[in-house]
Amino acid sequence: MLFNEMVDNDQLVIADKTFTSRLFTGTGKFNDQQTMVDALQASQSELVTMALKRVDMQHKDDDILAPLIKNGMNLLPNTSGARNAKEAVFAARLAREALQTNWVKLEIHPDPKYLLPDPIETLQAAETLANDGFVVLPYVHADPVLCKHLESAGCAAVMPLGAPIGSNKGLKTMEFLEIIIEQANLPVIVDAGIGSPSHAALAMEMGADAVLVNTAMAVAANPVAMSEAFAKAVQAGRQAYLSGLAGQVNHAVASSPLTAFLEAE
Amino acid sequence: MNIFVNEQALEVAPDCNIEELLEVLDKPLQGTAVAVNQNILSRSLWGDYFLQEGDQISLFQAIAGG
Repeated sequence: MLFNEMVDNDQLVIADKTFTSRLFTGTGKFNDQQTMVDALQASQSELVTMALKRVDMQHKDDDILAPLIKNGMNLLPNTSGARNAKEAVFAARLAREALQTNWVKLEIHPDPKYLLPDPIETLQAAETLANDGFVVLPYVHADPVLCKHLESAGCAAVMPLGAPIGSNKGLKTMEFLEIIIEQANLPVIVDAGIGSPSHAALAMEMGADAVLVNTAMAVAANPVAMSEAFAKAVQAGRQAYLSGLAGQVNHAVASSPLTAFLEAE
Repeated sequence: MNIFVNEQALEVAPDCNIEELLEVLDKPLQGTAVAVNQNILSRSLWGDYFLQEGDQISLFQAIAGG
């Protein structure tokens, strides 16, 4: 098969869905709804996350859902705000009713400062939700052992973090992400901390199946242009991975012939 | 008849179902989840459940998030 065909046919399958784009996005932190819709379109993303909250009876919320559905986005509700497995399972079941999808991004981060995911509660909730027919994508620390447990629990993918949510610090957990990718028999989506297109490209070059980006797009000076830059970076990183990266060595390896042309033979 | 919606007291007409309640409250049907007395009520049952005196209704809505 020609390389171009290989790239064209390179689709990501998670549970019952097939994705052409390996860039997943969040809907938070955009200044306004139109910018969000334009940015998500520019990103070419086919899966976008949403949160759920208790309705404020005093105020009318913006209808964020209609434009996303109109643009053919698949919705991935999260369980943000849940502090333990019990709350996360309740949130997932509410989200299933609200958005009519059994997909859920399972996130349980009780600590508000670093928003680091609780591994014990997450594994417990993942088991319950997978048994209940959910397509579970858990947000976790870059812990290879935990990711294997989540695989055994029936998760559809794992979403290890690069750095704390919204920190834009990049792949601080890189060496552990590499182990997770090496060992995984399910898609690995690098989530959280990806702050620039180069971070996203690096994750894809390492063999991640997809990345999830939100803050870096939403709070950029030009969110729409930045989302397009992320789309290109993810495509470039994926193509580089499929092309087989040249290895690294600690000494120089000449790219030009080293014949001493100024001297006579 | 008196009920509570997200901890707020509300007077509704008798024989009011969940769909009608959402209409009265001017809340969208799409993207909404409902729990009655802490039990999630499937969307397919919203037309069949008639509010009872003292019911605690919890309403949730899909919002932006990462």
